[in-house]
Amino acid sequence: MNSGHCMDLWAVVPEMLLAGLALALVPVAAFVRGQWRALPAAVAIIGLAASMAVTVVVLPTTSTTAFCGTYAVDRLATFYRLAIEFAAFVSVIVLDAYFRDHRQQAHAPVLLLFATVGGLGLAASLDLGLILLFLQIVSVAGYLLVILVRSDRSAQEASLKYFIYGGAALAVMGYGLSLLFGLTGRLDLPGIGAVLADADPVWIVVAFGFVFLGYAFEVTLAPFHFWAPDVYQGASAPAAGFISVVPKIAAFAALLRFLLEGLPHHAVVWSPVMAAVAVVTMTLGNLAALRQHDLKRLLAYSSIAQAGYVLMGIAVALRSNGAVAAVNFYLLAYLLMNLAAFLVVAVLERAGGADARPALKGLARRSPGWAAVFAVALLSLAGIPPFAGFAGKVLLLTAALDGHMTWLAVAAALNMAVGLYYYAVVIAEMFFMPSAHLKPIVAGIGMAGAAALTTLGTIALGVMPGAALGLANTPYWTP
Amino acid sequence: MLTFTIFLPLLTGLIVLAIPPSRPAWARWTALAGAILTLLLALWLWAGFDASDPALQWRASAPWIPGIGAGYDVAVDGISLPLILLTAVLLVAVMAYVLPQHERSPRLHAFLFLLLATGLMGVFAARDLLLFYLFFEIALVPMYFIVGIWGGERRRYAAMKFFLYTRAGSLAMLLGFLGLYLSMTPHTFSLPAIIQAQPLAAAPTAAALVFFALLLGFGVKLPTVPLHNWLPDAHVEAPTEGSVVLAGLQLKMGAYGLVAILLPALPQAAARFGWLLAVLALISLLYGSLAALAQNDMKRLVAYTSVNHMAYVMLAVAIAALSANAGARALALNGAVVQMVSHGLLTGGMFLMVGMLQHRAGTREMQRFGGVLAQLPVYGALFGLLAFGSLGLPGLSGFIAEFQVIGGSLTLGVWVAAIVVLGLLITTGLYLRLVGSVLLGSPPEGMPGLAPLGAHETWTAGTLAALSVLIGILPNTVMPFIAAGSSRLLALFQA
Repeated sequence: MNSGHCMDLWAVVPEMLLAGLALALVPVAAFVRGQWRALPAAVAIIGLAASMAVTVVVLPTTSTTAFCGTYAVDRLATFYRLAIEFAAFVSVIVLDAYFRDHRQQAHAPVLLLFATVGGLGLAASLDLGLILLFLQIVSVAGYLLVILVRSDRSAQEASLKYFIYGGAALAVMGYGLSLLFGLTGRLDLPGIGAVLADADPVWIVVAFGFVFLGYAFEVTLAPFHFWAPDVYQGASAPAAGFISVVPKIAAFAALLRFLLEGLPHHAVVWSPVMAAVAVVTMTLGNLAALRQHDLKRLLAYSSIAQAGYVLMGIAVALRSNGAVAAVNFYLLAYLLMNLAAFLVVAVLERAGGADARPALKGLARRSPGWAAVFAVALLSLAGIPPFAGFAGKVLLLTAALDGHMTWLAVAAALNMAVGLYYYAVVIAEMFFMPSAHLKPIVAGIGMAGAAALTTLGTIALGVMPGAALGLANTPYWTP
Repeated sequence: MLTFTIFLPLLTGLIVLAIPPSRPAWARWTALAGAILTLLLALWLWAGFDASDPALQWRASAPWIPGIGAGYDVAVDGISLPLILLTAVLLVAVMAYVLPQHERSPRLHAFLFLLLATGLMGVFAARDLLLFYLFFEIALVPMYFIVGIWGGERRRYAAMKFFLYTRAGSLAMLLGFLGLYLSMTPHTFSLPAIIQAQPLAAAPTAAALVFFALLLGFGVKLPTVPLHNWLPDAHVEAPTEGSVVLAGLQLKMGAYGLVAILLPALPQAAARFGWLLAVLALISLLYGSLAALAQNDMKRLVAYTSVNHMAYVMLAVAIAALSANAGARALALNGAVVQMVSHGLLTGGMFLMVGMLQHRAGTREMQRFGGVLAQLPVYGALFGLLAFGSLGLPGLSGFIAEFQVIGGSLTLGVWVAAIVVLGLLITTGLYLRLVGSVLLGSPPEGMPGLAPLGAHETWTAGTLAALSVLIGILPNTVMPFIAAGSSRLLALFQA
C-alpha cells in the first residue's frame, strides 16, 4: 500500500518552514526586550504568509500521498492547511496587538507557530502514529497559550484543566488507536479501512469509541465539552480565539478523514451516532449559552453549538454528495466569524480589563466600528444572511435533508432559532443601551486590519459563496 | 433596471452612512432623495409593464452560487409590481415623515430603513428561493434594530420577541425551501422551474411537510392566529415610522409568500389543507377584530386590525386552492393582492395618524381625546378618510379588496361568507367607535391643545389617503395589472 514515495520533503514545505521558524524563534523570544518584542510576531506573520503562498504553489491539486502513504497530499488537506495558516496569520496579529509592551508579546507567536504546525500535520495525517503526534503538538502548544500570563490565577487553573482533560482524552484515544492497530495490523487509515471492511463489529465499535473520544475532546463535542468554557474564560481573549478555531478545525479535518478513509464501510454505524452526538452537542451548547454572562464563556458555549452544526454535516458525509463540501465551507465560515468575535472581545478586554461585558454596554455609541464588527460576527454565527454563517448553515441543512435525516435538520433549525437569543442579547446591549464611558476605544492598526480581514471575509463568503464553495469541494485521496 | 431599483435604497443608505454625523439634515434629505428616486424608478417599471403579456417581465438573472443551483434571478409580474410600488411609496412617506427628526443617530436610522426597503423589494422580485430567503431576512433584521433603538419603553422585550418569532418562522421556511430544492432533479432553487415541474405533486407526505414548513414561515409574518403573538408588542413599541413599515410592508412578505410561493408550488397540498387555511383565516379575521375592539390604546387597536385585514389574504389563498369555480378563484386572488396594497396604504396611514397624535399629546389612549376634528380639521379629515377606508367603505381601496374576497368566499359556502361579514361588521363598529371618540364630541378634561400639522405630516398622510381613494374610485389604475398577475399565477399551476 506504499503508493507514495518515502522521502517527499516537498510535501511538507509549509510545515518545515513554520517549524523551522518556531525553533529559531525560541531563543530569540527568550531574550528580546523593548521594541524588539515585536520581532517574533513579525517573523511569524511573514512566515505564515510565505507558507500560505507555498501551500498554494508547491502542493499539487491532484490527490496523492507522501512518506510511504502516511501523509495525504490532496485538496482536502490543502484546503485545511490554508484555512489553518490563515487563522494563525490573523491570530498572530491579534496576539501581538493584545500583548503589546508585555513579555508575552514575544512568547505568543512561537507557541502559536508550534500549534499551527501541529494543525497542518493533523489535517493531512493518514497514519495512526502521526495523528496522535500532531494532536499532541496542537494540544501542548494550546496548554501553553492558555497560561501565557503565568501570574494569572484563572489562567493557571484553565491551563491545568485543559492539560488534565486533554492528557486523559488523548491517552484514551491512543489506547483506541492501538486497538485498531491490533485488530488490523495496519497503521495507515486506508489500509485499516480495507481490512476492517469485514471485521467483527463489536471490536470496531469499542476501538472507534475510544478514538472518537479524543476527537470529541478536541472539537468540544458533548459530553466532552466541559473544559472549553473554563479554559476560554481563563485564557486571554486572543488565545481563546485561536484555541476555539485552529485545534478545532484541524481535529474536525482529522475526524472527517478518519471516518471517510478509516471507516468508510461502517457509515451505517457511525452516521446515526454522529447525528445523535451532533444534536446533543448543539442543544447543550445553545441551552448553556443562554445563561452565560461572561463573554468568553458565552462564545465558548456558542462554539460548542457550532461544533454540533458541523458534526451534522459529518454525520451525512457519505450519505449526501455535498456534505463534505458543506463541512469544509462551514469550518471556513466559522473560522472567520469566530475569530472576528474573539477579536472584539480582545479589544474590549485590553481596553477594560478581564470582564469585557460591562464595556459592551452602549458600544455602538462609543465605538460604532467595533460594535459593527461584533454585530456582523454574531449575526453570522446566528446564521443570519447575508453572512458566511448563513451560507454555511444552508449547506449543512441541505446536506442533512439530502442524506434523509430530516429530523436532524429540524433539530438543527430549532437550535438555530434558540441560539439567536443569546447573540441578540449581546447585540441589544451594544446597540440599545446607553454607554457608561464615552471615550472611543483605541485599538491600533493591527486589530483594525485583522477585524477588516475577518469581517470582509464573513460578508464575502455570505454574499458570494460560490468561489469558496468551489475550493471547499475537495476530493480526497483514496487508494 | 429592476436590479438597480432594488439596490438603489441600499446604495443611498451607504451614502447616508458616509455623511458626517454633524450634518443630520443632509442625511435626512439624501435619504428622502434616494427614496424619491426609487419611487420614480418603480414608476418607470410600472410604465414599462405590459399587462397583456403573461410572461415575467423586467427579468434579470446572473449566476450566483452555481455549485448548488442558486441564481440571482429577479423579475416582476402583476402581483409583485404593485407591492414594489407600494414599498417605494411608503419608503418616501416614511423618509418624508422623519425629515425633521435630527436626534438619535439619524444616519443609522435612515440606513436601516433603506436597507429594509432593498430587502422588501428583493422579496417581491426574487424568482429564486434562496435569493428570496436572503432578501426576506435582510428585510427583517433592520426592524429588530429599529424597534430596539428607537422604540418605546418596552422596546428591548418587543425587539427580542419580534426577532425570535420571525427567525423561528424563517428557519421553518428555509427547511421548506430546501425540501423543494432537493425534490428537483437537478437540484435548483429556481421558483419558475419548481412551479413548472411540480416536483412534489406525487409525494403527498413530503408535500405536506414542506407545506407546513412554509405555512409556519409565512404564517408568522402574515400573521395568522396562533402565530400572531409578536405583532402587538412589536407594532406598539416600534417608533411610528417603524410601525408604518412593519404593518404596511413587512406583513406583505408573508402574504406574498402565501400567494406567490405556497399556492403555486404546492397546489395539491394547498387543496388538501385548504380547509385549514380557511379555518385559520376565519379565526384570525374574528379574533383580530374582536381584539382590536377591546383596545383603548389606539396603536394597539390599529395593530390588531392588521390581523383581521391580513386574514383576507389567507382566506383568498384557501379559496384559490379549494374553489371549483375559476371565476371565484381569480376574484379572490385579485382581492388578496388589492388588500395587500390597500392595507399598506391605509394601515400605514393610520399608524402615522396615531403617531402624530401621540407626538402632540404624549398619549394614545382613546378616552383622552375628543373633538379633534374641530381643533385640527385637516388632521380630522385625513384620519376619518383612512379609518373609513380601513372599514371597507365603498369608494376607498379597502372595499375593492374585501368585496372581491367575500365574493369569492361565497363559493366555499354561505356560512364562510357570513363569518367574514360578521368580522366586517365588528371592524366597522370599532372604527366608528374610534372616529366617534377621537374626532367627534367634545374634548375631555385635561386634553392638551394640539399643534397644527406640519407640511411633511399633511403630505405623507395625505398622499397615502389619496392613493387609497384613487384605487377605490378608479380601480382600473391597478386592477388590470393585478388581474393579469393572478390569472397568470392560476394558469401556472392549474395547467
